[in-house]
Amino acid sequence: MKFLTLTLFLITSALAADPAGIAFFEQKVRPVLVEHCYSCHSAEAKKLKGNLYLDSKAGWEKGGDSGDPIIVPGKPEASLLIRSVQHLEADMEMPPKKPQLPESVIADLVTWVKMGAPDPRDGAKIEAKRGDKSWWSLQPNKTDLNTAGSIDDFIGKKLKEKGLNFSPPADPRTLIRRVTYDLTGLPPTAGEVEAFVKDCQTNARADKDLIDRLLASPRYGERWGRHWLDVVRFGESNGFERNFIIDDLYPFRDYVIKSINDDKPFNQLITEHLAGDVIGKDRPEIEVGSAFLVAGPYDDVGNQDKVAQANIRAATIDDMITAASGAFLGLTINCARCHDHKFDPIPTEDYYRLRAAFEGVTHGRRVVTTLEQRSAHAAALKPLNAELKRLQIEREKIDADIETRAKAALAKMKFDRPKIDQFGTDETFPPVEAKYVKFVIQSFTNDYQGKLVRAGGGKLTEFQVWSSDNRNVALASNGTQAEGAKSATAEDFPEAYGPQYCIDGQRGEAWFIGNPPELKLTFAKAETIQRITFINARGDRDTDESKVRGATPTEYEVRVSVDGITWETVASDKGREPWTHAHGIAKARSQIITADEQARLTALDRDIAKTQAKINAVPPLPQMWVGTHKQPTEPTTVHKGGDPMKPGALVVPASLAVLNQVTKSYELKSDIDEGQRRLALAQWITSNDNPLTARVLANRVWQHHFGTGIVETPSDFGFLGSKPTHPELLDYLAAKLVANGWKLKDLHREILLSKTYQQSATYNETAAKEDKSARLLWRFPPRRLSAEELRDTMLTVAGAMKLEPMGGPGFRLFRYLANNVSTYIPLDTHGPETYRRAVYHQNARASVVDVLNDFDLPDIAFAAPKRANTTTPLQALTLLNHSFTLDMAKALSTRIQSSDPVTQAYQLAFQRNPTTKEHQAATQLITMHGTEAFCRALLNANELLYLE
Amino acid sequence: MNHLLNRRHFLNRTVSGLSSIALASLLKNNGLLANESPIRPSIDPSHPYAPRPPHFEPKAKQVLMIFCSGAMSHVDTWDYKPELFKRHDTPMPGSGNLITFQGEQGNLIKPIRDFKPRGQSGKMISDLLPNLAEMADDMCFIHSMTAKSNTHGPAENQMGTGYILDGFPSAGAWVTYALGSENQNFPAFVAIPDPRGVPQIGPRHWGSAFLPASFQGTAFNANKPIPNLARPDSISDKAERDTREFLKRLNDRHLEQNPGDSDLAARISSYELAARMQLAAVEINDLSTESPATRALYGTDDTNTNKAGFAKNCILARRLIERGVRFVQLFNGSYAMGEGVGNWDGHKKIHDQYAVHAPILDQPCAALLKDMKARGLLKDTLVVFVTEFGRMPTFQKGANGRDHNPKGFTVWLSGAGVKRAYSHGATDDFGYQAVENVTTIYDLHATMLHLLGLNHERLSFYNNGIERRLTDVHGNVVKDILS
Repeated sequence: MKFLTLTLFLITSALAADPAGIAFFEQKVRPVLVEHCYSCHSAEAKKLKGNLYLDSKAGWEKGGDSGDPIIVPGKPEASLLIRSVQHLEADMEMPPKKPQLPESVIADLVTWVKMGAPDPRDGAKIEAKRGDKSWWSLQPNKTDLNTAGSIDDFIGKKLKEKGLNFSPPADPRTLIRRVTYDLTGLPPTAGEVEAFVKDCQTNARADKDLIDRLLASPRYGERWGRHWLDVVRFGESNGFERNFIIDDLYPFRDYVIKSINDDKPFNQLITEHLAGDVIGKDRPEIEVGSAFLVAGPYDDVGNQDKVAQANIRAATIDDMITAASGAFLGLTINCARCHDHKFDPIPTEDYYRLRAAFEGVTHGRRVVTTLEQRSAHAAALKPLNAELKRLQIEREKIDADIETRAKAALAKMKFDRPKIDQFGTDETFPPVEAKYVKFVIQSFTNDYQGKLVRAGGGKLTEFQVWSSDNRNVALASNGTQAEGAKSATAEDFPEAYGPQYCIDGQRGEAWFIGNPPELKLTFAKAETIQRITFINARGDRDTDESKVRGATPTEYEVRVSVDGITWETVASDKGREPWTHAHGIAKARSQIITADEQARLTALDRDIAKTQAKINAVPPLPQMWVGTHKQPTEPTTVHKGGDPMKPGALVVPASLAVLNQVTKSYELKSDIDEGQRRLALAQWITSNDNPLTARVLANRVWQHHFGTGIVETPSDFGFLGSKPTHPELLDYLAAKLVANGWKLKDLHREILLSKTYQQSATYNETAAKEDKSARLLWRFPPRRLSAEELRDTMLTVAGAMKLEPMGGPGFRLFRYLANNVSTYIPLDTHGPETYRRAVYHQNARASVVDVLNDFDLPDIAFAAPKRANTTTPLQALTLLNHSFTLDMAKALSTRIQSSDPVTQAYQLAFQRNPTTKEHQAATQLITMHGTEAFCRALLNANELLYLE
Repeated sequence: MNHLLNRRHFLNRTVSGLSSIALASLLKNNGLLANESPIRPSIDPSHPYAPRPPHFEPKAKQVLMIFCSGAMSHVDTWDYKPELFKRHDTPMPGSGNLITFQGEQGNLIKPIRDFKPRGQSGKMISDLLPNLAEMADDMCFIHSMTAKSNTHGPAENQMGTGYILDGFPSAGAWVTYALGSENQNFPAFVAIPDPRGVPQIGPRHWGSAFLPASFQGTAFNANKPIPNLARPDSISDKAERDTREFLKRLNDRHLEQNPGDSDLAARISSYELAARMQLAAVEINDLSTESPATRALYGTDDTNTNKAGFAKNCILARRLIERGVRFVQLFNGSYAMGEGVGNWDGHKKIHDQYAVHAPILDQPCAALLKDMKARGLLKDTLVVFVTEFGRMPTFQKGANGRDHNPKGFTVWLSGAGVKRAYSHGATDDFGYQAVENVTTIYDLHATMLHLLGLNHERLSFYNNGIERRLTDVHGNVVKDILS
């Protein structure tokens, strides 16, 4: 074999050097390639087709996406290039959509291949227009930690190459501010700064002690948990049309914060995100991790259109695919939904492999609890349910006896009037003078199950009162007023569902009858009346039954009054045929029931109610928004063109082909348990030979320490993403992360203790010319506080922040209005119940809240792995004039009651003393306009908002 | 297509699905793929609203987008279908057991108002919107619009942002990202919500999503000014000025100690801009300077408070356009109270519902168009009147209203760069499906950008692995309607 290879090599080389062969290529072959192939298969192609280059020898040797050479030198019959121009392969004809090349041209190509395909174009460089499997991020991480060097070595080397140097170390005050914000998202106290500055003078390990203290603080998890929540697109409303709020997803937020505080290994965290319900069944602290899958937006509108339903389901799973591939792998696998990825070597099957993994997941809530809690709950309920059942059986026995007699009685009863009519029931009575009319309802059409059971839902569209001269005097247009309780409200529309709809003369809107079920009309003046009509239907009888909504009164009295004090009953449902047979039985019951039976029933009802109350008092098992799971009934297929109505090839749950050369692959049966699919995926993502997961995570850590990642596009390590500025450093960090057991805290320590991190942020014009944004880190890049940091800082400086208790249901800076769809109205004032860390704000989608969203808190429809950083006049307006600033300024002003309020305020806000000049100016402002004005200015200062 | 798909196997034998090669060929055949490198405008963070040049000579400099929330019925307004009168209350031929958003369909039902020829062009428009109908000669209709979703939320997303999913920047954000603004005292992009409230998808209509937050629309209307605009009452003018002066000195000193950081300078200038905006934005909402004739034209003093409120919003829209605001979005209708109560969603009793909504829209909106024309504002401003989709020519089974219909509906444009008294495309005989010159929302957006001098295929922003565009990977400029 060795010999053969060597021989081939010799022959090829000989031929390549053969001037005759080269001449043949130049005369007969190159012009053909240029004319017929280059437009799609060269560096000049407007759009490279199939990743195949024919403008260099290396191009055809490498082949297209499949990676097989398309010319086998010496063997035209085995060369795809030849077979395709010969139109020998069905439907593979080249050039496309054009007549076959002339025979003589094809013959030349065949001759050329027979000659061994001599091709002088060795020097041509293939400039990729897309990434293939040799793409940097898909390569194994080969770092040897024993020889790798340090962070400062990597950074220093690059700086040196550009003729740059590290900046001098930051002073202790700057450093403690930087580190404290970085690890906790909060400012240090003046005392902490002072102690640290002192400690630095005597303790060489002062920085390490500081970092250890901060990493041990629960504030660390709140800060770094927030970063992660951005990555996993955590939002507490469902988005889309209805955007209803989700009140039981916060346990996931608390779980993230606790996991980070506990330094939970990320391979475990990721596994819990994808399959917490599988590996942690009945262990809520693990199971809740799988809420990751359902923390994104999804459409829940009740669409009746089958095609729309399939598309909605596809979009719902697409969110999970997009979130998982971006967060863990830094790949945009979602781009391969309709076709193979245009820029990365991700076949469309990979997308559907992920779909197969998530196929069994549905958004929603379910009980998440321990087995102990479940059995304790069941044990508490068991005797109560038994007691309830015993009482109910006894009651049913008595009831059955009454009902038998009632049925017999009903058979003998006579009714002289028709049953009520949902399209309009009249009650006529002798003319009577009235200024007030009351319609007192005792029961409704849906209240009977053989006996009276209040079901609610009564509605009336109109209630008419007819005068002796046949005018409807109830109309509001006559000055009549209607009063009555309603059973529904709409916060942003106070008139909604009210009794006034009964007297508006239109059968459109209805009164939703509340408790007590009683309508009171007050006429403008006394009227002589003789008839009433009540109507439930929204339209005429001739259309159809759908005009009837809710329940209509069946038993009632009409009372009238002249003075509003004494009332006379002028009509009732007496004598009307029952609404249903069940209603008839209920009517008959009341006539035949004995006093003794009534007493026993009453006693039993009392006992039943008591038992029911005890049952209700047993705390329900906790429900959480963690999704529900159901084994898919159909195997997964590719959707051709991304269209769920066009199923393509079957796809089984399996590892992704994009990494099959570096990461051990797996393939499951198409009907495997859906939970096992997710677990297998999680294990594959977190396996140590998956080169992406650790790189992506290490890059995120770096990004949050320095503002920008080594790869600037934190969730895209593909061709369109940016390449790493320091690839070896990234691999070093990734290797360290894995070596540290996927824990973050040691990685933080190493980074924060580096010279790179601890250098000053001082601007240097010469260096800036070379590297303006300091990507090479010749200085520490200064940054503005994030939205959360800003709000947390204002609360902290003002002394208003409540750090405990951590977690629990979030606070709201909006008013939530729900009425079929939802609205989030930003609050104008933020009360003390909102004085918590911003990470605990209930993070609803499409809710814009002042302060936070102004300062680039994203609306979390997709993952937001990188925050924008904008400067707008609206930020200035908010920070100057929002009542929150004024409240904080006030709180701060009451806090600085020492003999020197100016110095105290500077220490609180900036952790430094004012200069003499500043002190003078501040004192002058206070003298003229008070301390609140001074505090308002401090809270707006750049020194507060920016970190060096 | 089969041919194309199979040819792909030559290049990659493992692929299936609609291949990129097929798509690329299609695009190329349409002449759309020539040297299309992305254009990402470079934004100076200290002056995000600075005017930026378009890609080529524009026809329009500003956009006024009027959005009717809830899906306005095209067959009852702009799209005249005589067959509906002829076949009133008969089944729609060929519709079988059609199931749409809310369920089964009943018979074809004639428009709720009669149609009459309007203007010199004789365009047939219904009596539902008589004042707007008068302006027919200034309108350019697209009768063959189609939407991708039959559901309000996603379809509003598409009309507003180009995508049916959440999370994409609004058209106004794209435009201000590309072009900045001519007026530095105002946000570049203003959204004017209806006095009754916001549409289904609320602030996503004017969100910036992954574009920088400076390009999100600022929402305010005649009743509710820009939030936090005014200095609190408790602070005197003098105290305000002295506080700001003190703050400026604090910031100047800080800048001196941290030279070379443009962010810091940008923040200082943002406070100055905020001060100017305070003056300008108070002035903009002061409608007392409008003449009584103008107020009467719009109907600002109408006893119908919803109509009066919308009329004031219409004047506000004109004033913002006059002051050079790049993109103004005017909303008619809100989701409030659900189906059809506050908007055009006429499922169950369209006669009653449209009798409420039409008068609120008609006079003020017509006055806006008339007034803008009289003041010469239509020369540089493109007006786009849209809704998220249309409605069925049938009534829903057992109801007196029309269900959602994304397969065909009408939008119209007016002003800079578009033909006058022109109609493009058509639906079938019943107004059910677009059949002639079928137009997508991508096409509409592409055309808007084109009129602003922007190439919709090149204006882009990199986000999470993709060069994002307003028009995704679709869209053809509707050349037929360009003047």
